[in-house]
Amino acid sequence: MKNIIIKLLALFVFIGFGNAYASDAAHAAPEHISTHQEETYQARPFSEMIGGFLASTGINALINPDPNELNAHDEPMSDFHKTWGRVIMILVTFLLFWLAIKKGFEPLLLLPIGFGGLLANIPVAGIAGHDGFLGIIYTMGLSNQLFPILIFMGVGAMTDFGPLLSNPKTALLGGAAQFGIFGTLVGAVALAEMGIVDFTLKQASAISIIGGADGPTSIFIATTLAPELLGAIAVASYSYMAMVPIIQPPIMKALTTEAERKIKMTTLRHVSRIEKLVFPLMVLVLAILVLPDSTPLIGAFMFGNFLKESGVVDRLSDTMQNALINIVTIFLGLAVGSKLAADQFLVGETLAILALGIVAFSAGTAAGVIMAKIMNLFPGHKINPLIGSAGVSAVPMAARVSNKVGMEYDRSNMLLMHAMGPNVAGVIGSAVAAGVLISLFQ
Amino acid sequence: METNLVVEGVKFMFLGMGTVFLFLIILIFLMNVMSNLVHKLFPEPQANDTAQANSSANNDNKKVIAAITAAIAHHRQQG
Repeated sequence: MKNIIIKLLALFVFIGFGNAYASDAAHAAPEHISTHQEETYQARPFSEMIGGFLASTGINALINPDPNELNAHDEPMSDFHKTWGRVIMILVTFLLFWLAIKKGFEPLLLLPIGFGGLLANIPVAGIAGHDGFLGIIYTMGLSNQLFPILIFMGVGAMTDFGPLLSNPKTALLGGAAQFGIFGTLVGAVALAEMGIVDFTLKQASAISIIGGADGPTSIFIATTLAPELLGAIAVASYSYMAMVPIIQPPIMKALTTEAERKIKMTTLRHVSRIEKLVFPLMVLVLAILVLPDSTPLIGAFMFGNFLKESGVVDRLSDTMQNALINIVTIFLGLAVGSKLAADQFLVGETLAILALGIVAFSAGTAAGVIMAKIMNLFPGHKINPLIGSAGVSAVPMAARVSNKVGMEYDRSNMLLMHAMGPNVAGVIGSAVAAGVLISLFQ
Repeated sequence: METNLVVEGVKFMFLGMGTVFLFLIILIFLMNVMSNLVHKLFPEPQANDTAQANSSANNDNKKVIAAITAAIAHHRQQG
């Protein structure tokens, strides 16, 4: 028995050696041939090879920029944007990482955007160019507006219209908050008229949509009307959405009295399943009749919501809420990040966009609160004006802020579900506003 | 073209806010009509239609709880 085992082992060892030897020979043979066949490669002295390698390093590209290097749009770039601009932008992306990780500012989007920006500012590699992978992702789904639409689908599948259906008139608050968009539009063109900034009407519209506080809508409009400003608009939009708990409360407190903040709202009535099922179709039909330009956004939104409320396709609605929206978020973030290239982001307009964005946000918040106060002048159930600020979309952050501020003044006053009504109406409102802007430029 | 940019912006604002409000006001009207229809055509027995119904249900519950506690107290006194 032992003998047999030893013989078998010896056989295996022999076969193994034989194979190894054979494969060595097989490897050696093609290599030998390929060095002869490769005609483009020419032997060079070692010092020249080192020199060539040093010329291809990132350090060299940052110190001695290639005068013929073009940006992602095949336009020449200034030396500043090729050298210090890239260093500054890489530091800016580190700032975004810090905000996302340490401060918890919308990490789901700021991390992919920031990393995309980091990759887009690498010299030589051209990752954000036509053939780079960021450039491919950008053309795949952002320049044709596919990604924001898919995100809207997922958001629709996550949205519950119950609070809005049980108190329909709160939809007006979501409408009033869209003043943030159009008020800022007037402000931006007025600044342009005075010669302080240089924006066209299209660019001003794309910037002011930040006031809708709706990331996908901002990106949708920016890619349609002013793709050159996309990076700054997306970054401003998502940063301010993350800063809702800081920006909104002072405005809400300044515009309301203590008595108003303590108003208790009547309990929300039960909403039947059929109502929730009919609602998305009703909104879509209304959008078809009134404003077909808004139907890409509203259609996708209501598709997601309809699948969720139907209750028979939980698998699909679950995919939209989780897997699909997560995948698209990665792609959307990276594609937006590719627009953080120094030559597109480090321009004077970016500062103006950031400034106008926060004005738009604040104006929307204020308009929602004021609208609630106006509605309280009419007979009927009183509305706590704190929920007016939730009319800017930013679901569900803005509604949580309303709830939190309300509880500061009366611990038993739960405003969260009441604020969800204007909050989801705000999403519909900003999609309608987006449709209006698109229809005006056709 | 250059001179009336602000006027254009104001026009955009009125048209935009007008459309948004028109859309939402029609939507509010439709929501009310729809929920009335749904409640007439497909009444849900367990649904509490109004806040009043809700509070009266709560009151009923409280009365029941009060009755039970009174009965327990009475029983203990007897025992």
